[in-house]
Amino acid sequence: MRATVGTFTVLAVALALLTGCSSAPSTSSPTAYVPPTNAAPTPTPSAPLPVAEVDVPTVSSSLDQNQTPQARPPQTIRVDSLGIDMAIESVGLADDGAMELPKDPSLAAWYRFGPSPASTTGATVIAAHVDSLIYDIGPFAQLASARAGTEIVVTTDDGQERRYSVESVQTVVKQDVPWDSIFDRSGPNRLTLVTCGGEFDYYARTYLSNVIVSASPIA
Amino acid sequence: MHKSLKIGMTASALGALVALGGLAPAQAAEDVAKLSVFHGVPGLTVDVYVNDKLTLDDFKPGDLAGPLDLAPGTYKVAITASDAADASAPAIGPVDLPLEAGKNYTAAAHLDEAGKPTASLFTNDISQLAAGEGRLTVRHVAAAPAVDVLANGAVAITALVNPKESVLTLPAGTISAAVAATGTTDPVIGPADVNVAEGTNTIVYAWGSLTDKNLALAVQTIDGLHSNPDSIPAGEAGLVATNQADDSMGLMVGGFAAVLMGLVAAVVGMRRLSAARR
Repeated sequence: MRATVGTFTVLAVALALLTGCSSAPSTSSPTAYVPPTNAAPTPTPSAPLPVAEVDVPTVSSSLDQNQTPQARPPQTIRVDSLGIDMAIESVGLADDGAMELPKDPSLAAWYRFGPSPASTTGATVIAAHVDSLIYDIGPFAQLASARAGTEIVVTTDDGQERRYSVESVQTVVKQDVPWDSIFDRSGPNRLTLVTCGGEFDYYARTYLSNVIVSASPIA
Repeated sequence: MHKSLKIGMTASALGALVALGGLAPAQAAEDVAKLSVFHGVPGLTVDVYVNDKLTLDDFKPGDLAGPLDLAPGTYKVAITASDAADASAPAIGPVDLPLEAGKNYTAAAHLDEAGKPTASLFTNDISQLAAGEGRLTVRHVAAAPAVDVLANGAVAITALVNPKESVLTLPAGTISAAVAATGTTDPVIGPADVNVAEGTNTIVYAWGSLTDKNLALAVQTIDGLHSNPDSIPAGEAGLVATNQADDSMGLMVGGFAAVLMGLVAAVVGMRRLSAARR
């Protein structure tokens, strides 16, 4: 310490006096000086440093903290400009590997194995029959006339309203629908509404296309 | 709930532990091995050294670290007391973990059946599941004899011994799981609700010690193994079709004629029905 003082100017002498003062009272005081002098270099963990610090994500693996959380089901869907106001059922799969749908076209269905509006990522898929031999035409028949910017409100089981704005409305021939991206569980949280439309095969009694509405959350 | 353990490592350790925390994002998933570490030795906070470099500091019982993305290869893992200066006097190991690209592993520090600390490397089943299904993996890493696993009160797995696992594919949903000595139904752990989530490998560890009365369940999940529905058939009447019946029938029949045909068919159908009733 004194050697350095000798090599410095008056200012340094003043500094040396400070350190001299601080080291004199006790051995604990010098440690008080370490944090400020260390504080400058540490915020820049530059590559050439021999020691790097990396975080490994660590969680408690207890059952009450590390299980896959139950999704929060959407319960109603409203599109005021199209006169749509429907209850939503939680559904899984039909026997043939298709998404299960209620027979009644006035009921919408949410694919419960995929994301929900409360999920941080992925597409919430809500679908409904466009029509039925028993129940006639359903509200989702109006989806074909949705436009970019049409507002959709989905209410989840916690009572929270989640608003979406339509980005696109597409009628896609069923064989060409990219189901893996429709049911995508990654990427930003978004809403995808699906029904049938386009031309009808009067022999097979099935529509040839799906009408697909893509919507993004309104911040 | 989430916390982070600091990893102190040198440049050479970084070379071995590539792609940590997005350091090498260019590495594709199939080029790396994924390794998680489960700590199932009760009452012992440890340090974990990988290739003699401190990787997990003050790792606590019941905690799960990772997954780490590692370059394929063999890694030497040593587990020491948390106050050890280096890996020279490990409490467990050192063990060599051969890790292959594209695979997913969990290294578990745990007790053997007799209660002695040991380590096991498990390969996690990350094969794709059918839509609607979940995978349940149960691992016996407790100081306890053979056990049965009961799901919703029924025996689902029998005579599972330390350090083995059993893998089931189930319809997705929550089950009530309990662990009992083999051949019995009186639970030594649980029953507890376990969410066998769709498209997910839910890995349950039975850990701790029967004699020390600290048996417990731990859980690790690996998601993204799902399949999707292959269609949404959402109409059957053609009431909003953009074509008319003749378009697809290839007949020059107008809409009115199609409606007439429908009426005729309906009338015929009703007559047949009433005929059948008679």
